[in-house]
Amino acid sequence: MKRGTLVFFCFLLGLNGGVVYAGEAPLKVVATTTTFADLVKKVGRERVSVAAVAPARWNVHFVEPKPSDVRNAAGADLFVHAGLDLELWVDPLLEAAGKTELFRGGPRNVDLSRGIELLKVPTMPVSRAQGDIHLYGNPHYVMNPENAGIMAKTIEGKLAEADPAHAESYARNLKEFLEELDKRVGHWKRLCGHCRDREVISYHDDVEYFVRFLGMRAEQFVEPKPGIPPTPRHLEFLQGYMKEKAVKVIVMPTYYPREAAAALAARAGGKVLTLCQNAGEIRGTEDFFSFFEYNFHQISEALK
Amino acid sequence: MRIFVSLCFCLLFVSRAAWGQESAALLESQVKELRQVVMELKGVVEKQQAEIELLKRTEKVRLPEPSPRPSAPAVVSTLGRWNPDIGVLADTVLKLDSPREDAEGADRLSVREVEIVFGSPVDPYSRLDAVLDFSDFEEAALDEAYLTRFELPFDMTARVGRFRPKIGKINAYHRDSLETVDEPLVIDRYFGHEGYSRSGVDLKKLLEVPSPMTHELVFGVLEGGVGEGGTAFPGARRRPTFYSHLKNYVDFSEVTNLEVGLTHLAGSKDADRRLEVQMLGLDAVWMHHFTSRHRLKLQGEAFYMNREESVDGTLWGGYGLVDFRLHPLWAMGFRFDLVELVDNPVTNPHKADTGYTGYLTFYQTEFARWRAQFSHFDLATGKDDNQVLLQGTFAIGEHKHKLQ
Ligand SMILES: [Zn+2]
Repeated sequence: MKRGTLVFFCFLLGLNGGVVYAGEAPLKVVATTTTFADLVKKVGRERVSVAAVAPARWNVHFVEPKPSDVRNAAGADLFVHAGLDLELWVDPLLEAAGKTELFRGGPRNVDLSRGIELLKVPTMPVSRAQGDIHLYGNPHYVMNPENAGIMAKTIEGKLAEADPAHAESYARNLKEFLEELDKRVGHWKRLCGHCRDREVISYHDDVEYFVRFLGMRAEQFVEPKPGIPPTPRHLEFLQGYMKEKAVKVIVMPTYYPREAAAALAARAGGKVLTLCQNAGEIRGTEDFFSFFEYNFHQISEALK
Repeated sequence: MRIFVSLCFCLLFVSRAAWGQESAALLESQVKELRQVVMELKGVVEKQQAEIELLKRTEKVRLPEPSPRPSAPAVVSTLGRWNPDIGVLADTVLKLDSPREDAEGADRLSVREVEIVFGSPVDPYSRLDAVLDFSDFEEAALDEAYLTRFELPFDMTARVGRFRPKIGKINAYHRDSLETVDEPLVIDRYFGHEGYSRSGVDLKKLLEVPSPMTHELVFGVLEGGVGEGGTAFPGARRRPTFYSHLKNYVDFSEVTNLEVGLTHLAGSKDADRRLEVQMLGLDAVWMHHFTSRHRLKLQGEAFYMNREESVDGTLWGGYGLVDFRLHPLWAMGFRFDLVELVDNPVTNPHKADTGYTGYLTFYQTEFARWRAQFSHFDLATGKDDNQVLLQGTFAIGEHKHKLQ
């Protein structure tokens, strides 16, 4: 009976030997977020097939990868992620997939934080007394559209490396993307010109790059520390702060519980505004540009 | 059996570096690497030239001056290169129960377990993980210490050392990942109070079949015996136990999924050569997410055991669990247990221990959790037992769960 099992096992192994991909098959890319996935699509176009691990409406800090994500990652040519501690679940996912070239630092691992000027990098030793996450600096750099250029260049480099035959078309797509981005960035800056020097409260410390882009400030958060849920005492402090500094807007993505922020806004005479963190978090924001378009219109309207 | 063990070891040590014509191949690969590096550098220079051109033209973006801030990956890699990731988990339990005997950990507040977790890559092909358990009423124990070897032939991953085999669903979890304070009765009675962890070798393979489902197959050979207090393969360390598990997983949608697993175990209950204990297991987990942090989970496992010639004949045990994450910070649930006992004295009025467990969990943060649990057990002896458990679980340092 044991021998039978062994033969069956060997049969299975033989069945799944090497799977060779044909030259024209698109590159398989797995990205941690929907935003990165769309960015890869912008540079790779028809030459890539992209899957995102974290659903758009989920908080990317807290995702539990599923066996189907492991399967996707195991078959991927490239794995794209934010690095830092945005996605703490990346290492367990890649280990389960078992492809060492996709591991952090490996040749097929694309860490998009490369070349990004990070904000809020701790200058002193940190511990979790300062909160659960953001130990290496603020990882939400995708929120500044100017960083998209750097990220897109990183992606283009890796795509060309993995698929040199189509390097030219990646370079061309990148160029078009950068031109479009450049136009849009100018438009967004004009659209939100009146927001300069204004302050907002954010639920989580995830809009630092966004507000800096607009010359705004977000210094107080509904979470007392990154990843730590709000406490009554902290909300009371924020109420006083909002009144004193005449801050009228609390921004947050869709996936955090809204009650605390809504109650705070009501008491302080302000309002809660949705700013997406992921492309596709709200219907109609699936495209990388429409994602920013939505966010900038939101903030522009709210601060009029 | 011997063939299988040697096969496992052969596969393990067939690595790129171990092939015969290694020097020629090595040289060739080095040349290839060098060529790649040169090509990369060339690409970088070209790209930078292009960037400079672009920047000159747009004149909008300033040239990135050498950043005074170290970019994060550099920080991570210099810190993480030589020191393994270390995590410490403390599991404190206050247990009040009805029997009057002074059993271990009963009617008292105990630090039931302090788990020290180490892990780090060993080289580009493998990593080492170790878990040490300390408790204030038991001796220190090595829960796990194993090498994971990635990318073996046929895309297999192997583990060698002492580890928790992937039988069923819950056994592979560490206590801090359990939904309840204690392991289900079927794990406790058949595999031991702290679950089943043995020395051995196993091989894992994701099956690449054209199917919308994901299939993973694991095969392993373990030393005989089970965990402390377990009854499935008692006291026969020299007679190995063979195990296999097939995991089948399907996404019905982005928020709903189902996993069904099949387990087979063959082992011995005594010192002879036969594998007279055969176990078949079925595990299933259905999960539905209402939002990213609200979800409903239904989970069940059953083990069917044939013990040949023994008075017990065939036995089975299992549990069913409903876990509801009703709020990002709160979870509640219920577990039903039933397990037919091995070597149950004929004088006992029942064949099985039965349990009803309800719990409420408060997640203070990702790293600190509180839980209150009440259990009622109807034991095979005819007695019953009521337990009130209060648990605090705290984690410091590196805290990443392996995907199961
Ligand atoms: Zn964050």
